[in-house]
Amino acid sequence: MKACVILLSFLLLMPASAEEGQPEITAVKAGKILTISGAPIADGIILIKDGKITDIGTGIEIPENAFVIDAGQKIVMPGLVDASAVPPVRGDLNEQSEEITPTFRISTALDSQSKALKRMVQTGITTLYVSPGLRNVIAGLGAVIKPTGKTPEEMIIKEDAALMVVMSMDSAYGNRIPRSQPPYNFYYRRPTTRMAIIWMLRKNFFDTQEYAKSNEKDDPDLEILASALDDKIPVRLNVRRAINIRTALKLAEEYDFQLILDECTEGYKVAKEIAEKKIPVILGPFYYYPRNLGQYEGRDINWNNAGILTKAGVKVALTSGAQTQSIDLLTAAAFAVRHGMPQDEALKAVTITPAEILGVVDKVGTLEKGKDADILILSGDPLKVTTRIEQVILNGKTVYKAERGRKL
Amino acid sequence: MKSKFYIALIAMFLMASIINASARAAPVRKKLAVKAGSIITISGADIKNGTILIEDGIIKAVGKNVEIPWDAFVIEAKDRVIMPGFVLAHTSSGLDRANENIPEVPFLSTFDSVDPVSFYFEDSLRDGVVAILVLPGNNTLLGGTGTVVRPHGLTVEDMLIKPYTGLKISLRPTGNTSRMGHMQRFRRYMSDLKDYLEEYEQRKADAEEEKKPFDEEIDPRKQAMVDLLNKKLTAFIYCDNAADVLKAIEIHEKHKFNTVLVLSPACYKAAPLIAQKKLPVILPSQLIIWETNEETNEEEMKVVPMIFYKAGVKFAFQTDTSQYGSRYLWYQAATAVRHGMKRTDALKSITLYPAQFIGVSDRLGTIQVGKEATFLFLTSDPLDAQAWVDKVMIAGEIVYEKEKDKRLEKLLEKPEEIQKPKDTD
Repeated sequence: MKACVILLSFLLLMPASAEEGQPEITAVKAGKILTISGAPIADGIILIKDGKITDIGTGIEIPENAFVIDAGQKIVMPGLVDASAVPPVRGDLNEQSEEITPTFRISTALDSQSKALKRMVQTGITTLYVSPGLRNVIAGLGAVIKPTGKTPEEMIIKEDAALMVVMSMDSAYGNRIPRSQPPYNFYYRRPTTRMAIIWMLRKNFFDTQEYAKSNEKDDPDLEILASALDDKIPVRLNVRRAINIRTALKLAEEYDFQLILDECTEGYKVAKEIAEKKIPVILGPFYYYPRNLGQYEGRDINWNNAGILTKAGVKVALTSGAQTQSIDLLTAAAFAVRHGMPQDEALKAVTITPAEILGVVDKVGTLEKGKDADILILSGDPLKVTTRIEQVILNGKTVYKAERGRKL
Repeated sequence: MKSKFYIALIAMFLMASIINASARAAPVRKKLAVKAGSIITISGADIKNGTILIEDGIIKAVGKNVEIPWDAFVIEAKDRVIMPGFVLAHTSSGLDRANENIPEVPFLSTFDSVDPVSFYFEDSLRDGVVAILVLPGNNTLLGGTGTVVRPHGLTVEDMLIKPYTGLKISLRPTGNTSRMGHMQRFRRYMSDLKDYLEEYEQRKADAEEEKKPFDEEIDPRKQAMVDLLNKKLTAFIYCDNAADVLKAIEIHEKHKFNTVLVLSPACYKAAPLIAQKKLPVILPSQLIIWETNEETNEEEMKVVPMIFYKAGVKFAFQTDTSQYGSRYLWYQAATAVRHGMKRTDALKSITLYPAQFIGVSDRLGTIQVGKEATFLFLTSDPLDAQAWVDKVMIAGEIVYEKEKDKRLEKLLEKPEEIQKPKDTD
């Protein structure tokens, strides 16, 4: 009887131990590897151990016990980095109690079971930036995460990645002045104008400067703002119109913080200035016509915004734009090329450039030795709209494989 | 004898209208020869370095070794891919308001509402669409009849390809109506119509018996529905979910309509049934949807065109104006190809099939002898995001040229020009 139980439990344990016994080295063989960091490698091999790339190149010897993923003549490239993604959060992203909420962290609200994350993986996104919504002037701290892991801690790769500040009319749009009655509604609050948004920002930065000079260190809000002014956390400013972009550049100079421009729809008009100040740009969703942006923000559109900024020498990241469900970054890149962006720049704009801007380029964004093994296997040229993502490898593990029917 | 006279009269009238129409879209030159780098004929194999011969806006010859008459004007397009213009078999864009707020208005026509100066038509031409069936929206039970237009012309009459095409029926209940109430309303309308027609026939028979002249016409408010029953019109039935498809099939079979189904993404579950009934389908513009697998709790990507393609349904693509790619018919086709659809079938779904669904395939949809010389000059392969519509020819006349497209030029302004100082607010 006892022996029987032991045998039974042994049998039950078998599959588990077999899984653990999987070779610790994975090798990916492919006809063409787009490393992004350097020239493409023909007939290359990538060796992966503990979720990291241990070696990459041609003629690398594959260890005998390695698990081999043979991509044949298919194309391999790094996982995509979406610098502005749909946050995996259940509930509203806009805090209604206050307009200035620098201590609010998106990382405290992450839902690892989110459906949005599971979908994103299948569209090739392996790293993403998420942040609080755009209805507060200082919205809080955004984080860089990976769409994997059971707890927020496992997902996060950079917790305080940027301080989200909203200078576009989103933070004022629809607001009404609190009159005599108690403010029972989100909209009965300030600011109500573009002027007031900028005044609020100035006031808070001024207060922070004063706070930094004083000896009292007891205000958590100002602590966060102080570290932003100390260049410890970059300030990600959501701006769309040229007038706001110029103000953002001015503010960054005045208060000396590390600026990242977010959305930047009319960036093409200010490309030269942005390039001179070496400010990176994370573009928002693509709009065909200004009317799609609403009456306050929609003025002018240039389909080649990304191309013009790139040509001026600005670091540009393409994103899915958080607002839409069209989360296909490769399509975004293909259309950027259609509208005038050089091909290699468009590929960088969804991999290495967002990784650099988000400060995680040491981990993701390219296929290099020592980096996370986030790899896509594609059926063809990444910028062709008929190309499909066949397999997604995240931290060395296959997390998505396109359904059978077409050979992998 | 009399009937012959009438036929002759009608024929003359038709001839006159055709001559009139061709006079409007008259080509500058009578004889044209287009020498193309590549011709995607849709009807047959692609032709490399072929020639298309056009006379009076009609294709006279297509092939590799076409002799060019001495008096033909030659258009050199050696670096261009030529293919038939795209056909959009269903839209409610280009109207000021797509839905009437009374549920039973089959007597309305989009002809009265098509706005020729709408951006929508300008965009459509730029994107290579040459024929569009504009139908009322998806919120009215019996919404009215449609109009086939080309996105070129200053008045609806100029744009007109085919008036009075298709009648829109929407099975999505609106307002406070339930699905039960919605269907009941439809059934009541049809039974009232049947009663009316019976009474009408009775009156006609009575008059004949009494040898009295009978000049009563069908109630114009009911005419469109009568034409639907007579198959003079096609029913475009919008289904909001798979259950609506069952209802649509019930209606189709009971009333023997010519039916085209206009589907929402959720209708994919009815694909096998639609295939069995051999009904043509217009797919939603959203081609990829996500569903949670109940067993594994994983998110599954559903590629709507592939589900219908595998089931063997003949379909046409639709566009919208909201997202990156879905505003382009070529992108819709490319999305299906990405997920496994055969390229030739995907191309047919944006040219020949929609032309068949809206009854213009005798003139449009392929590059074949006898068809209208309506085609696109593309800079490269149609399914490549880097391909632009360089020129559009409609009935032998070049009506669009990218290099003369001022708005596109503005939207893609070159960096050098941007840097010049100007009003930047």
